[in-house]
Amino acid sequence: MTKAQFKKFTDYLIKNNQVIAPQYDVEEILHLNELNNSADLYLGTELPLDSWKFYMLPHDQKMFEYQGDKLKETLPKIDKQVFLGVSILDMQALTLLNQVYEKDAYYQDIKKKTIVIGTSLVPKDGFNKFFEVFEENKLEHLQFDIFLAVQKDNYKIFTGSNDGQRLLDKFSAKGGSTSGGGYKKYQHIEYAGPIREEGLDQRMVDIKDAMQNNHKDKIWQDLGKRCIECGKCTIACPVCFCFRMYDQADLDQDKGRRSRCWDSCFYNEFTQVAGVTPKSPKHRFMTKTAEKIYFWYEHHFVRTPESFSMPGCVGCGRCTRTCPADIDITQTIQDILKKKE
Amino acid sequence: MHNDYQTFNSKILKIGKEGSDSKTYTLSLPYKGFKFAPGQYVMISLPGFGEAPISISSDVSETKNFELTVRRSGVLTTELHKKKKSDIIGIRGPYGNAFPMDLGKGKEILIVAGGCGIEPVRPLILDAVRNPKKYKKVSIFYGARDEDAMVYAKEYAKWKKVCDFNLTLDNPKSKKFRKGVVTTLFDVKKIPTDSIAYICGPPIMYKFVIEKMIKQGFDPKNIFMSLERHMDCGQGVCQHCAVGPYYVCKDGPVFSYEQLKNFKTWLKPI
Repeated sequence: MTKAQFKKFTDYLIKNNQVIAPQYDVEEILHLNELNNSADLYLGTELPLDSWKFYMLPHDQKMFEYQGDKLKETLPKIDKQVFLGVSILDMQALTLLNQVYEKDAYYQDIKKKTIVIGTSLVPKDGFNKFFEVFEENKLEHLQFDIFLAVQKDNYKIFTGSNDGQRLLDKFSAKGGSTSGGGYKKYQHIEYAGPIREEGLDQRMVDIKDAMQNNHKDKIWQDLGKRCIECGKCTIACPVCFCFRMYDQADLDQDKGRRSRCWDSCFYNEFTQVAGVTPKSPKHRFMTKTAEKIYFWYEHHFVRTPESFSMPGCVGCGRCTRTCPADIDITQTIQDILKKKE
Repeated sequence: MHNDYQTFNSKILKIGKEGSDSKTYTLSLPYKGFKFAPGQYVMISLPGFGEAPISISSDVSETKNFELTVRRSGVLTTELHKKKKSDIIGIRGPYGNAFPMDLGKGKEILIVAGGCGIEPVRPLILDAVRNPKKYKKVSIFYGARDEDAMVYAKEYAKWKKVCDFNLTLDNPKSKKFRKGVVTTLFDVKKIPTDSIAYICGPPIMYKFVIEKMIKQGFDPKNIFMSLERHMDCGQGVCQHCAVGPYYVCKDGPVFSYEQLKNFKTWLKPI
């Protein structure tokens, strides 16, 4: 697909769907927003500040409407959406979310209506990525619909789902009848699960092993002194997915909604349970900052690999970018991996 | 698509008072085929007040209804205590794993419970009472705050027929009862250290009971404990209940001490 064809493809997508894509805002910060004009699309190596989870896992989601004792399921009301220009790192994040929320009716309803169009572009410098180099054989371990491998003057096109194939076929049929601008010469890649042929990601295994078998208390005590528990890293992270559920009553008697919203393990209530009586103090299993930040790392580098055989960090560096206390995840990982304290 | 968060309605068939602050609810089955194992829990739901995990406390052989014993301790449980016979409670589950009962077969077992920690182990006790030959000996150490906080008091006589039931109260009002925390029972009764132990109680109890048991020579592999945590999903997703590499909601709530002893985050807040 040539760059001119790609512009046509983008226009075609905008015309028929809600397209979410990286765009610079007026303050020149790269954000994900609805794309209305193909000229505004940013397709480059910089990662947007916000991640695609904002569109897959809405920060506040109505789950049920209740009346009396009855809960009525309310699925998200969204139209078909296209994610355009998803970096490989973010594709890896979406692949993980797909596993975590495999059985979740709400997530799956949104996933069903979402087309993911990835690109081989990754940040050039800075963070030590899990996906150091793009290679075609890594694509079979990522879930996507269409993938653009960026080449010198054009894009090599891959499909990862039937939805992706249908979309390209449809575009080709349409483009063929007007100006001949379609694209049918894609290659299809079948998802082969998260584990590569060479086995588990060695870096993931090493970090997990170090966290579980070579605990260095100093790292966490030091971070505990610096972290201010703001929770921004949990918002910025494309694979921080924890949530809390809450009920909200309507003004009408006996009616209301049950929802879920993003939560953060840095908040005091995260591990709170009731006290001995309604008036006694609540019990919290985590109270110290060091415990909370350890819990955050444990989720990404121990629990996620344990449950899904996938790294719980895609190396996007968003947590480091947003941290007001300058906590650098690359540095922490280096410290975790150091043989001696 | 099947929605895991959809609750099923159970009708309150009977409410029994357990001391001054707990009640036992006998509930109709939420759906056909509802079955559980000792140690498992359900999420109870009261629309407008949310959900909470509550251990199932009835005998597994009872297939027509099930029981939950709930202490009034927070917003949801306070609301539940206002409910009357024939009212409806939302249920989803059962969730979690069970106490490994087969491990104790033919051996001596010890059940240690503190406060309302007696509720999750009650199915185990009732099973032992029903099958007097299943274990070589069943000892129960139960510690409660005072006479008013004793749960299942009406059943102790029946339990005593099969089990060596030992009760101690933190602050007894009458001299009839032993005074002291549950750990003191380890000095009074000698339990063979190759026994299988099932424990449930408040966080502080674990610290002292386990210290005592390890000192006496119990094997961490034979000590099983049921943990309480904040839970929202019940399916290992929401992260609230995580302990080390485990989710209490899904991998637990029952863990052996062997599984937990090395994790930085587990014993610390206790």
